[in-house]
Parts: sequence; C-alpha cells; structure tokens
Amino acid sequence: MALPYFVPTSVQEAVDILAHYSGDAKVIAGGTDLVVRMREGVLRPAALVDIERIPSLSFISLEDHRLRIGATTTISTILESSEVQRCAPVLSEAARRMGAVQLRNRATIGGNLASAVPSADMAPPLLVLGALVHITGPSGERALPIDAFFIGPHQSALRPDEVLTFVDVPVLESGSGAAFVKFGKRSAQVIAVVNAAAWVRVQGGRIEEARIALGAVAPTPIRARSAEALLRGQEIRGELLEWAAHAAAEEARPITDFRGTLEYRRELCRVLVRRALEQALHRAMEGE
Amino acid sequence: MPFDLRFWVNGKEVRIEVEPDETLLWVLRERLQMTGTKVGCEAGDCGACTVLLDGRPVTSCLLLAPKAHGRSVVTIEGLGSPKRLHPLQQAFIDYGALQCGFCGPGMLLSAAALLAQNPHPTEAEVREAIAGNLCRCTGYQKIVQAILAASQRALREEIP
Repeated sequence: MALPYFVPTSVQEAVDILAHYSGDAKVIAGGTDLVVRMREGVLRPAALVDIERIPSLSFISLEDHRLRIGATTTISTILESSEVQRCAPVLSEAARRMGAVQLRNRATIGGNLASAVPSADMAPPLLVLGALVHITGPSGERALPIDAFFIGPHQSALRPDEVLTFVDVPVLESGSGAAFVKFGKRSAQVIAVVNAAAWVRVQGGRIEEARIALGAVAPTPIRARSAEALLRGQEIRGELLEWAAHAAAEEARPITDFRGTLEYRRELCRVLVRRALEQALHRAMEGE
Repeated sequence: MPFDLRFWVNGKEVRIEVEPDETLLWVLRERLQMTGTKVGCEAGDCGACTVLLDGRPVTSCLLLAPKAHGRSVVTIEGLGSPKRLHPLQQAFIDYGALQCGFCGPGMLLSAAALLAQNPHPTEAEVREAIAGNLCRCTGYQKIVQAILAASQRALREEIP
C-alpha cells in the first residue's frame, strides 16, 4: 500500500496535516532514526509529513543573549557554526561526537530530541544549558523546559499533532563553563554506552551553580540533581568533584544490555561525570 | 500516492515516479540500474551506500527518495571515467586500497567530498572523513595513504 507523503512549506500546514490524520501520521526530518524504525517494522505511520522543506525551521540565530537553533538544522550545520562554537561550545562538542559525516549531514537537532532515545547525544548538553523546546500544535505555540520534555524511551511531551520548531539556550556567560563527554565502543558512529554533560558557574573559587546530565543510563536522559546539590555553593577543593561524581553514579538507573552491564555503566557514570565536571570547571575559571 | 521525483544524477536530469517510502538507494539500483552504489547494512551504519547529496556524503539507504527532489546526487558512476580516472581512483589502485572492493564506491565518495572541501587534509582529518565507511579487508591504512597521496599529487600539480 502506498504511503501518503506530504511536503508542507509552513509549520501551520504541517500541523493541519498531522491533525487531519489524528495522530497516526509521523513527522520526518532527516529520517536517520525514523527510516530505520520503519524498516524494522516498529513504526507503521499512516502518512509521513516531511518538514525538511519548511524554511522557517532551519536556522541558527542570536537574540537577547539567547541562541536559537531551528528543529531541522543538521548536526553538521551546528558543528560548522561559529555562533554555536562561541555561544554554546558544548553543543559543538556533542555534535562532533555524533555518528559520522554521513549521519551528521542528515540528522537534525529536532529529530535527535523528538526520537527521545535515552542515548541522544544532544540531550545532556541541552539539559545542562537549561534549554527551552519550542513546539507548535493545533492550539498554538508553547515553550517547554527540556527537563519536562523526555517521558520514556521513544516517548516525549511532543504530541502526535505537534511539531518541534526550535530549541533555545542562554548564551554562555563569563564565569561559567560546560563540557560533554561520551563513551562508546568506537570513537565514531556509535550509540553511547554512557554520555554526560556538566555545566558550572563559579565565582571566587566557589561553585555558585552546577548542572549535570547523563544519557543511556535511565529510560530518558536525566539530571543528576543530588550530585548538583552537593556542589552548589561549595568551595572547590579536595574530593568535592569525586563526591559529586559518586552521587551522580548512584542516581543513575542503568540496565544491562549488549553495550554494557549495569555495573559497568554505573562506573562509567562516575568517571564521565568527574571528567565533565573537571573540564567544565576548567573552562569556567578560564573565562571568569 | 506516487511521488513525481525530479532530480539530477551525475549532472543529468532524471524524472521518475517513485513510491515515497522507497529509498534513494533502491531508486538508483533498481529503477535506474546504477548498481555502483552498494547495499550493505541498510541501517546507516556501514557507509557502502554513500552518495553525495548537494555535494555532501549521505547514506542513500536512509534517504527516502522524495528527499532528493530538486537536488543533485553524485554516485560512483559520476566520479571520473574509465578513460580518465579521478585522482582518488588512481591513488586507490596505486596503493592497493581496495581488496574485495565493496566499500570502494562509498569510500571514494567520502574522500572526494573531503578533498573538495579541504584539498590538503591531515591524516586525522582523513580518518574523520571516512569514519562512516567500514572496510573489512584493508585495515584502512592503505586507504588513508591513498587519500593522502591523491591530495599530495594535487598539491604538486598546482606548483608550476
């Protein structure tokens, strides 16, 4: 049976088509995840709505100290963007570790979030940056903190008749720094065994604020909030980072699969969070 | 609902009706009988099906045919010719960079895209550019040498 395929040129048109199919149509952007899942038979959409030709969804802009990245902006475009490198370098860092050239040329930032896989490489950096996810649906536009976006494996707060339009992050300020680290079985073209990001703001040898996020160790990408609380307001000394890394590992809820055992993943959490914190701190103090 | 696909393959305009869930890989091989592009994992992992879409390497197994509409595609059939090989093809022969040859079309196109953008890459940049192309025979060493040699030859030819 032939699959209806729509190529809308505006977000409103896309939303109208999705509403017409009452949730049974799927949005396709780069297709690097969706096409694989359709081939595996896991997804059988009644129609596809290709949002790649909607001009207003592909952009990188800087306004009022906020960096906005349109949903269909490819990972390659993010990697090559000097604005992203300057305003949110942790996103460039994560983009560099995603897939390989062919995948980065097709995969989009919106798709990486909307697929809602626990290992999504763009999720930890966006979580620690405090991103807002902008969404348009039949009843209009809404902006959701990314902390409320992920619900479970392949499940997000994005309703089937909504389109993710852009993400919005605050520009990195002086005295703050962020880092992304990923461990996979190869250096390229892999799904993370564990990935992590950290963001810190320092002043006078003290951590004012910290955020830590982990991927592939729970049903969704997660924040490690008790580890963050350990760091908040603390003087940077001794074993502080190690304690926080340990706390983050305790908060993770990993499973055993062919990429790694539960125990191995928990140990990776500790090591990766420590490395991410060290790098974030180093960068924050450089710019203080 | 067939899709009226119009695109450019190796510089020639092609018009063809496709089913929207056919991949570009399928259209190239089964509809246009261009079998230089190889079917590997069909999951975007191996790079055997790599083609250039508007000059950039993509895995054609993950690209639904309508995505190519209005765009330019270069396949291995469009790189050099039997009478006049592309410098990369000549270097692959000179360095024995192919054994079974299955990864060759994708590998050459990834390399061609790299040299078009960065004519004199470092070894690290070469390895980064072909990280999405798996080769099970050569161990990559000769492929990397061949790509670097092709870029060096181009460098020498620029010097009068």
